Amino acid sequence: MRMGIAMDDSLLEVKGVSKTFGGVVRALDDISLAARRNEIVGVVGENGAGKSTLMKILVGVYPPDKGELYHKGEKVPFPKDPKEAAKRGISIVYQEKGVIPWLKVYQFLFLGHEDKYVKFSILQTDKMKKHAAAILEELHVKCDAEAFMYELPLSTQKMVEIARAILSVRLESGEDGTTPIIILDEPTGPLNDEERRELFSDLLKMKKNASFFFISHIIPEVREFTDRVHVLRDGKLVANYDFSEEKIAEEDLFRAIVGRESSEYISKQEVKGVDRGAVGLTAKNMTKKGHYYDISFDLHKGECVGIFGPAGSGKSQIIRTIAGIMSFERGELIVKGHKLKASAPPHVRLRSGIGYFSGETGKELFFNWPIVKNISIVNMQKILGKFMPVINFNAERKMAQRIVHRLRIRTPSVNTDCYSLSGGNKQKVSVGKWVERKPDILLLDDPTIGIDVGAREDIYEVLSEMKKSGISMILVSDDPKEYSILCDRIMFVMDGRIQNVLGPDEFRKVVGI
Amino acid sequence: MTSPSLSREWLRRNMTTVGPIVFVVAVVVGFQMMNPFFLRYQGIISLVYSMSYFLVAACGLTFVIMTGSFDFSVPSLLKLSALLCVLYIEELGLWVIPLALLVCVGFGFINGLFLAKFNVPSFMATLGVSIVVEGIALYLSKGFLQIMDDRAFRSLATTFIVGLPSVFYWGMGIWLISIFLAMGTAFGRRTYAVGGNLIGAGLSDMNVARHRIYVFMLSGLLSGLAGVLYMAQMGGGSVEMGADMAIPLFASVVAGGTALTGGVGGPHRTLLGVIIITWIQAGMNMLAIGRDIQMLTFGLIAIGMSIATIDRKRIKIIK
Repeated sequence: MRMGIAMDDSLLEVKGVSKTFGGVVRALDDISLAARRNEIVGVVGENGAGKSTLMKILVGVYPPDKGELYHKGEKVPFPKDPKEAAKRGISIVYQEKGVIPWLKVYQFLFLGHEDKYVKFSILQTDKMKKHAAAILEELHVKCDAEAFMYELPLSTQKMVEIARAILSVRLESGEDGTTPIIILDEPTGPLNDEERRELFSDLLKMKKNASFFFISHIIPEVREFTDRVHVLRDGKLVANYDFSEEKIAEEDLFRAIVGRESSEYISKQEVKGVDRGAVGLTAKNMTKKGHYYDISFDLHKGECVGIFGPAGSGKSQIIRTIAGIMSFERGELIVKGHKLKASAPPHVRLRSGIGYFSGETGKELFFNWPIVKNISIVNMQKILGKFMPVINFNAERKMAQRIVHRLRIRTPSVNTDCYSLSGGNKQKVSVGKWVERKPDILLLDDPTIGIDVGAREDIYEVLSEMKKSGISMILVSDDPKEYSILCDRIMFVMDGRIQNVLGPDEFRKVVGI
Repeated sequence: MTSPSLSREWLRRNMTTVGPIVFVVAVVVGFQMMNPFFLRYQGIISLVYSMSYFLVAACGLTFVIMTGSFDFSVPSLLKLSALLCVLYIEELGLWVIPLALLVCVGFGFINGLFLAKFNVPSFMATLGVSIVVEGIALYLSKGFLQIMDDRAFRSLATTFIVGLPSVFYWGMGIWLISIFLAMGTAFGRRTYAVGGNLIGAGLSDMNVARHRIYVFMLSGLLSGLAGVLYMAQMGGGSVEMGADMAIPLFASVVAGGTALTGGVGGPHRTLLGVIIITWIQAGMNMLAIGRDIQMLTFGLIAIGMSIATIDRKRIKIIK
């Protein structure tokens, strides 16, 4: 841990910032960090770690409950709104707020500041263009001030946005001497590898003119391009690394980001080390540019493979591709000896035996339907009459009752509408229809997100039983414990590539649970 | 305990059922008071005539609205089908009926294709198709009044069975089949699924695009059948047929309790809506109230019904 930065070169420093939402959720707990002149400071953490809250406090979107702000060593109050923040030299470039594509670069740069270029009620476009060109030149943004925004590559668009943030600081603070502090909220989200490099090489040049808070969860780029990094986890500052002083291994940084206290709950079901059955699914060099590259693995019968990695690593995209929600560009996906089409909707994938279960409530449930209909919708074949495609209501009800009983769904009857069920019971209904359907391969996309421990245990139990009966599974989750409970192998994915394949025991060691 | 809050709670939950029934009773009592002939035999015959073909078309539209889409082409297809019948009955005999139905199913397919494959909002796609169909109808009829004088064809709708014209039995038959389709088959279940949760439907073992096309084809088929019955009942018509029908049709489906948001309601509800709308229309006709007041009334009813039935909590963006 390194704390305390020499006062003289500290540009902006926050001390002891805390923030609670609604009196319950502690979003930030006693955070202190600082930015010096002309450096890029990484702020990393998982979703919900508090990065965005902290940055929103800096630009005046939220007031902090506690804490102090120092600007050039002088104590100042926290800004009340983004305009006041800009006066202190702080501005933010949001992840997706984005550009207005049909504006020209100079129009976009001065958007909202046109009043400074009005003379006798006429907008002096020539002067604007000249100033814009000068600013772009100074900040090393390589583009024509009169080009349309949409004509620029994505990385350059981002640079123009950053230039605009610097400009707004200058215009608001009124003096050119203040070094602007620009917050970049996951700026590389929509960029591909090449555009990313492009953006970073431009940013390194721009360091002369500004300091940056760089919010990200993509570990390699944080290691490569920032000078220092602060790691937030569950609202607390858990680690600070200075790359100029020490070399930090990717794994260490990763563990700092995701590592959680081991919980009292570890599943009773330990169904691991199954003897490997036949191969059920093979992925060969599956690639979708900008999302994942060269994904290859075999999934055996009755096996559960986890795809693990930080948010933005490409794990969700991989499982969604297999489900048929996204398509892939290169490579092969083979099920039972048949190559699957790169782009086919989920119902076609289901015909090849691939079911997709998402824990995101509301995604696949029909809330205004009773339990019985929600379970039968993927099991229509079983309840239609032999000679006529007519629903056998008796069979339908019995099927639902079986599932309600087996998954211990708490409900007055199978005819209860799903919206009146609790979160955990809704999730069980969602799982239940796949229990009845028995696909060869079941994809689990965050299967227990946001539900209580009891419901979780019931779901794990039923999934383990399905596994024993020979159903293969692929798991993607935000919760490392889930992998150690369900998976036989865990693939480590980072930056869209498989970095490593671990057994459950190794995995537990690596993430520290 | 029958506390007032309990009965109010019951009323709130069953509003979509109780509302239309109350409305029907009010319409009947109101017109009967203004016009003592309203519920005499002759009056009832004219009520039955006004609602039956309308019910057939409304059942088709109900399926489309259940999926959360809209079919603007129903009145135009009704007209085209009626005109095809009257124009080609001499050459084709009764074979003109399957021809007319086939053409309408074809246009329904095009509607569905635009929505499901080219992602054109159904409102726009079906409006466009309906204009095209209007053009074809105008070209075929050349704007003249066409008279149907084939007795066999006309008997389709005008044979009296147990005191009521056969068109009434057609309407009720199609209505019952529609209810069965919606409640008892996989087709109906999937129609509700598409309207209730489109993403969920895509993840639930069904071909959403194809299903949406099927629903529009069904709507086309029933529009065509309504046109056949209309021509058999009226015995003639021009391109003016079915003008201003879109809004009353839509109002009747929505008045029954099938919300524009999709996923709820169904053809079983549409009967009451059709009774409300067509009986108001017939009642006003009996009282010799002009088209100006009628249009004004149906416009207001349509808007009022949308407000009353749409589940505003579920819609995030209105376009």
